[in-house]
Amino acid sequence: MDASSLPKRQKGGGNFWETLVFLFPLLFFVVLLYAALLWTVYVSFADWKIVVPDYTFSGLKWYRFLVQQPRFAVDIKNNLIWLIVGVLPTVFLAIFLAYFLEISHFPKIENYIRTLILYPVAMSFIVTGTIWSWMYEPGRGVFNTILRSLGFNASLPYATDPRTATYWLVLIFIWQYLGFAVIIIQASFRTTELQEMVEAATVDGASRLRILFQIVIPNIRSGLLVLVSLLLISSLKVFDIVFIVTYGGPGIATDVLSMNMWVTTFQQHLVSAGAGLGVIIFLMAFILVIPYTLYALNKWFE
Amino acid sequence: MKTNSLSLKLLAILILLALSVAYLLPIYVMLTTSFKSIEEINRTNYLLPTLRPQWSNYLEVLRGSERFRSQMLPRLANSTFISTTVTLLALLFGGLGGYYLSRTRTAFARILFVLVGIALYLPYQVVIIPISILMSKTGLSQSYAGLILSYLILNMPLASVLLGTFFLSVPRELEEAAEVDGASRLQIFFRVVFPVSLPAYTSVAIIVFTQVWNEFFLALTLSSRTTQTVQVVMAEAKGTTLVLYNLQMAAALIAVSIPMLLFLFLGRYFVRGILAGALKG
Repeated sequence: MDASSLPKRQKGGGNFWETLVFLFPLLFFVVLLYAALLWTVYVSFADWKIVVPDYTFSGLKWYRFLVQQPRFAVDIKNNLIWLIVGVLPTVFLAIFLAYFLEISHFPKIENYIRTLILYPVAMSFIVTGTIWSWMYEPGRGVFNTILRSLGFNASLPYATDPRTATYWLVLIFIWQYLGFAVIIIQASFRTTELQEMVEAATVDGASRLRILFQIVIPNIRSGLLVLVSLLLISSLKVFDIVFIVTYGGPGIATDVLSMNMWVTTFQQHLVSAGAGLGVIIFLMAFILVIPYTLYALNKWFE
Repeated sequence: MKTNSLSLKLLAILILLALSVAYLLPIYVMLTTSFKSIEEINRTNYLLPTLRPQWSNYLEVLRGSERFRSQMLPRLANSTFISTTVTLLALLFGGLGGYYLSRTRTAFARILFVLVGIALYLPYQVVIIPISILMSKTGLSQSYAGLILSYLILNMPLASVLLGTFFLSVPRELEEAAEVDGASRLQIFFRVVFPVSLPAYTSVAIIVFTQVWNEFFLALTLSSRTTQTVQVVMAEAKGTTLVLYNLQMAAALIAVSIPMLLFLFLGRYFVRGILAGALKG
């Protein structure tokens, strides 16, 4: 146990340089990363609004500018939809599926399902988005073709309807992350204590649903914390799906903060405003990731 | 618990059907569409498989053509080169950093861990402006080196934490034995810890490689025509060839081929990497 803290000072001068070899590359990149972060904060308070940099301090000018744009309200609304609709159904579906796989004894089916729903982790949102665009295509897309061949006369507009488009985009996200969520939940089921508790409850004759709600879910809190945090962060950062499927459209109906940031910075060259959006996204991510980071810290140094 | 009741069997069938449709349909559509001619797509119900597969679609996508300018072959080479280089460097440096974090119990190490932990999930939007300034100031902008360096900055925290998680479970007795023999920390790391951690390195390599391969935001912002990655050219193809669904699907299949092969053949390592990323390894 003590050996972990020993090696540093034990063997005189040589160890300082040795520690540096281990530490330096990581430290170098972490410092660069945080320097970049601070630089962005600095730019957001400057007055850089054309291609050429302008570092004149201008306070909250560009934040005020951002907030006054109608686009900003749309972004916040859509980002909230992403956070809620992207995370909750994924977590519930994952718990349900993982629990089903635990209590059933179909080894072949379990293997098949795990591979089936996990393969999207190897795919990029760009590829997934390209495929789903084709499925959503209102005219002759996959879903409408299927609906028609089933005898429905309706043709749904999917991502082209400004009122519901964001939800159709979120569906792609849920599809992509479900397998990931299931394996994390499954792993958190597999602790000895939980298995014993479930066994005891089963002997007592508790129903499977009761076991799920009263024993399993309360005892996978750390697994849930990890999963929910990861999903929240991913849905907050979402950019690729929106870019590839709708490019924020129709109009700005599916715009999100990250998309706005990219357009503002690299298309309109309102760099200070773009930096402000970057800072806003970071602050939201920071708040979401705190519980998880504290948990990880305790676990790492326990 | 050992037997499957009737209701469970029915549920199994339902789940099996629903998931199969949801997860096989996109793959099926991608495959069948990629082998059709555009005329066939326009003429018939394209959910049907084609009787005359057009292998030439794939050649056209790889080589580029008059109507499909987004040549995939050089981009495939770009993505492979960039992802491989970033992965190797991240494994080397991340291994060193991860080992430091897993063996040091000082206040400094704790602070560094928190900084790394936050950096793990840093939205790229908050660092992209300085990174692109830095790249253009150092003349690295739109070069391979610039992209590789940027990806390395962003993937170092991940590689360090993932590898560190695995190092935490390496038994200390191994290292103590080597220490008694007078080996230095570096020797211990490379001769004792590294060899027993090869499975961990495989997992982390797959995770980092896939992440860099699939990354879009940074690549979109920093790559030029010559360094463009697969994802960027895919997005470009989708924007410029609105109706060429067959070629888009062929391009999509080519773009996922390498990570998908990794997943199919090394899926076990994939899962271990994901679980370690969730700090459950």
